[in-house]
Amino acid sequence: MTTVALGPKDFKSELKPIWCPGCGDFGVLQALYRALSGIGRAPHEIAFVSGIGCSSRIPGYTTAYGFNTVHGRALPIAQGIKLARPELLVLVAGGDGDGFSIGGGHVAHAVRRNFDLTYLVMDNQIYGLTKGQLSPTSPHGLETATSPYGSLEDPVNPLAYVLSYGAGFVAQGTPADMPGLAKIVEEAIRYPGFAFVNIQSPCVTYGQEVQQMKVHKATMKTLASVGHDQTDRIAAMRLAQDYGKALYTGVFYRNPEPPPTFEALVRERQTAQGERPAREKILDRYLQRAT
Amino acid sequence: MMTANTSGLDVSALTLRDALDLAVLIEEEARDRYLEFAEQMEMHRTPEAARFFRFMSENEEKHRVELAERREKHFGDAPVNVTRAMLFDVEAPEYDEARAFMTVREALESALRSEEKAASFFASALAGLRDPDVRGLFGELHAEEIEHQRLVRAQLAKAPAEPLVHPSEIADEPHAID
Ligand SMILES: Cc1ncc(C[n+]2csc(CCOP(=O)(O)OP(=O)(O)O)c2C)c(N)n1
Ligand code: SF4
Repeated sequence: MTTVALGPKDFKSELKPIWCPGCGDFGVLQALYRALSGIGRAPHEIAFVSGIGCSSRIPGYTTAYGFNTVHGRALPIAQGIKLARPELLVLVAGGDGDGFSIGGGHVAHAVRRNFDLTYLVMDNQIYGLTKGQLSPTSPHGLETATSPYGSLEDPVNPLAYVLSYGAGFVAQGTPADMPGLAKIVEEAIRYPGFAFVNIQSPCVTYGQEVQQMKVHKATMKTLASVGHDQTDRIAAMRLAQDYGKALYTGVFYRNPEPPPTFEALVRERQTAQGERPAREKILDRYLQRAT
Repeated sequence: MMTANTSGLDVSALTLRDALDLAVLIEEEARDRYLEFAEQMEMHRTPEAARFFRFMSENEEKHRVELAERREKHFGDAPVNVTRAMLFDVEAPEYDEARAFMTVREALESALRSEEKAASFFASALAGLRDPDVRGLFGELHAEEIEHQRLVRAQLAKAPAEPLVHPSEIADEPHAID
């Protein structure tokens, strides 16, 4: 592992973002550059995996190795990378649609396996890339291209979702407080296990009025200011119930005693099974038969 | 004293060195944000606003260099205690000020809001400042922001009137492609 003194600009790629001017994702990107410079891992030691969506374009705007995968499938691919190359810093990003509708089934399993991954969801409560359809986090009643008379569904609560599956690190931020978001992302990356950050990132083109940056600035409240103890999972769950009603920023939950990660348990088992991993033995046997 | 745009920094207790470093970083933040805006406009076929934002970015850079030279003259390479993480959106236009197909008038109005914001930052800081040298510096910076407002207003007076139909009504809405 190389620790180097890098500034935020060292993580900025040549590719210019094509997000709509004013999109919240621009602030998220700046916060990420800052967080990565705080971590100090060289870009070539970072694998940045995303799904599909406006937000999923983010790896391309960094100098890390990026993999813009398939809609909803960023987490399984990131888990594979982490298992094969545990020494890499693996980041995962995507939208609320990518993470909680088509990819929703993967979240629970990534959480319960506890890979050392940082999952950043840019939650704009809408499908941005495909031009403004209902997303799983859209509020009840929202009128969109696919719900002209208003949505009849209640939204998924991403915070309660990951907390209930036992994620060791759960936080929320907004680019309306970009320096605060950078700190949260850095803390999430430093957590040794599955870390989830719900980033309320306004979509200026299709998002609701109440979800814009100015409203965030006026209403956001840090969890520290309400006296929240981030090691108290039940208190975190209680505060998470306010998703969609209040905009809390900061760390909801941080497991004070992080359990071993999945990749560490796999390595342990491989060691216990002998010098050479069983996979190689199987391959040897196959090759012997084939020749 | 903390302000809405700073954190971890007691503005009322700033030394001249820290105040100069803060001023340099405020200009740097504005320079970077205007440049980001210019690039966003270029990407979304809004060339006039892009040109204006680039011009603003170059101006902020000029101010940054002037302040950095003063800092260097007075304090050489003494360590810098103020970081970008301690300030946010002081003079830089807020992220959501940018819009695809914005007119030059809208771009100027956005810059005016930023100059007003910066002036009120220095005005409220001045109210609590104790060190006379820092008061002098912030008084000067406040006056500069007021002068910038005058310049932007003069440009606004000359800017073409808004078209009857806003360009964003005619163009396809911006969207990312995948
Ligand atoms: C398998 C598959 N189904 C559907 C799509 C179409 N599609 C692309 S992005 C997207 C949703 C985008 O919303 P979100 O994930 O919230 O990201 P955002 O664009 O808002 O950042 C959909 C439905 C696709 N690309 N692939
Ligand atoms: S459609 Fe929305 S989410 Fe997508 S780039 Fe534009 S503002 Fe951002």
